[in-house]
Amino acid sequence: MNRGEWILISRRAQVSKSTRPRLCPIERVNQICRCSFFLFDSFSFAEAAAMFHNSSQRKYWIFKSEDEVAHMRRKANQKFRNKIQESGKSAVSDSMFLERHEEDVLFRHYERRLLDFCNAFKPAMPKSVVGTALMYFRRFYLNNSVMEHHPRTIMLTCAYLSCKVDEFNVSSTQFGGNLLHETPAGQERVLEQILEYELLLIQQLNFHLVVHNPYRPMEGLLIDLKTRYPTLENPESLRKSADDFLTQAAMTDAGLLFPPSQIALAAILNSALRASLSMESYLTECLGLKEDKDSISKMYDSMRRMKTLLKKYELPKADEVNIYKPRLERIHAQFASSSNKRKRGYEDDSHVAKEPRLVEEEWTDEDLM
Amino acid sequence: MDDQGCPRCKTTKYRNPSLKLMVNVCGHTLCENCVEMLFVRGSGNCVQCDTPLRKSNFRVQLFEDPTVDKEVEIRKKVLKIYNKRDFDFSSLREYNDYLEQVEDIGRGTDWGRPTETEVYNLTNNLDVENTKLKMEQYQREHRDLIQKNKATLTREQEELEELLLLEQQGNEQRRLDVLQDEQRQLQAKRKNKQALLDELEQSQLPATILLAQHKVRAAQLETQIEQQKQTVKPTNLFSTGIHMRQTVSLVAVPKVEDVLFHYKPLHVETYGPPVPELEQLSRVGYLNHVRAAMPQDTAGGYTSALACHRAIQDAFSGLFPLKG
Repeated sequence: MNRGEWILISRRAQVSKSTRPRLCPIERVNQICRCSFFLFDSFSFAEAAAMFHNSSQRKYWIFKSEDEVAHMRRKANQKFRNKIQESGKSAVSDSMFLERHEEDVLFRHYERRLLDFCNAFKPAMPKSVVGTALMYFRRFYLNNSVMEHHPRTIMLTCAYLSCKVDEFNVSSTQFGGNLLHETPAGQERVLEQILEYELLLIQQLNFHLVVHNPYRPMEGLLIDLKTRYPTLENPESLRKSADDFLTQAAMTDAGLLFPPSQIALAAILNSALRASLSMESYLTECLGLKEDKDSISKMYDSMRRMKTLLKKYELPKADEVNIYKPRLERIHAQFASSSNKRKRGYEDDSHVAKEPRLVEEEWTDEDLM
Repeated sequence: MDDQGCPRCKTTKYRNPSLKLMVNVCGHTLCENCVEMLFVRGSGNCVQCDTPLRKSNFRVQLFEDPTVDKEVEIRKKVLKIYNKRDFDFSSLREYNDYLEQVEDIGRGTDWGRPTETEVYNLTNNLDVENTKLKMEQYQREHRDLIQKNKATLTREQEELEELLLLEQQGNEQRRLDVLQDEQRQLQAKRKNKQALLDELEQSQLPATILLAQHKVRAAQLETQIEQQKQTVKPTNLFSTGIHMRQTVSLVAVPKVEDVLFHYKPLHVETYGPPVPELEQLSRVGYLNHVRAAMPQDTAGGYTSALACHRAIQDAFSGLFPLKG
């Protein structure tokens, strides 16, 4: 993990200490990792460390191809099956587990719910917080199966964590207040669960908590367009459809395959294309790619890939969801006992570990919205 | 302190403020009166541990804990024998080992280590016989060295005392000088006054003129004194006794030949087009397209250039596809 991230975490830990009634265990993470804090020796270093090209995102969370991502998900699915089979439960048939594409449907379903939850959040959540939450969710289920950890809890934990990491300060009670249709006692229970899963989530994210979203790069590109590319008469007109592009991209694997700046550029170029404006000269003149035909063609190529990704995205069909969801619940109900000794992230620290929660699934999805 | 008392007669400091506690080599206390009574004949046994003691070995207890007194006593004795100095050893490591051993002369049979120990042993009554034997043996073996070191030690002590004496003398001299100076000034003033009175008595000139003359003279005297004060005698001694302007011959500091550090500006690979410098943003016109900073924002050091720079950095970072 890079230094910038640690500093962000530590700073937030301080904030949460003073303002949150319920202290999140992020300080515990510090202890667990025996993290030492570094002071930046110069401004330029601080600046360099905080940017994408030096980030953990570029190093660990940008993958080469769609196949690699798909392969990881298959492995996660298989890992869960193996785990159950090894645990030696007698009545386990393969048909019981969810297939990859079924998992995918449920994943997209809960991702939608996460998006809706974030959009309905009061006070209004900034876009970057939403983007970070979605990215956490996506990264988490890259190495984990929905059958192992219920996406219902994980999605809320993602949102909660991203609020903290992205400096959107809400107290946990405020956060709980956004769980409409929940009694205060129910909200309390959900929050308990969120806190319980928070460390697991952080651990599964490999402590890489800073997510670079394409929103600021897009602003930067618009500023740059306005300044250096007067050929384009009204860059602001591109904003609307570029925004839509980014929102859609957040629901796809684009964030796992491309740097945020490329996604932003693709959004703008796509938007220009729709308005039938050509921006080829911006790439060649302003970005200095005139000599570099190779790079240009590669960039166009990745933009095409992004577009196909976006096009391929389809909303989860309600009837499919309705079929798979009971099966997911059944899996969780059946294997809850075996996965009860679930990694809480701090299971070794006996002084923090809470009593195992026996009645865990008391609230359902319908309570959330 | 108040609950300190003589274990025999049970007198305490509280009841008898002039109580004087004494310690002998065994580390047990007795008050002065009890010592007088019990050791009339010059020797006797300790009330508490039955060690045979001599009256002349009683010392006034300096520390609250009598065992500390005992240890100080023992340390003095042991160090008389174990008086090697750091330059008697070839390496610091050996010297430290030696010091540790001396200290261990106290530490007794601890932690399964063979007893190489003196100070602690004696203080804590561990293995006393052995330790004493060992000390005697050591003394026999190293008699020459011990004698030699003793001599150097006393010589050094003498030198130090001489130095102290010199310094004291110097201080006294300075004090006398200052005193004399003041005396002289006082006398001069008095003389001046007397002169005025004499003149007033004898001279034909009007009194006002005489007075004015006197005033001028008095002022002159004052300035003279001031000047004297300012021209302090140049001292040629530091307070430490070292002569000023003395050329102190120091061993030339060994020159460390090393490659000098060369600053290289930090280069960061951004995988994207170059980002304009923060300072140039407004010149190129970037700042026309961002929200101007409100006055209240600037209080914290915020400028619109900062936000703009960050956005552009983010936009360009990683923009180009990786080569290869």
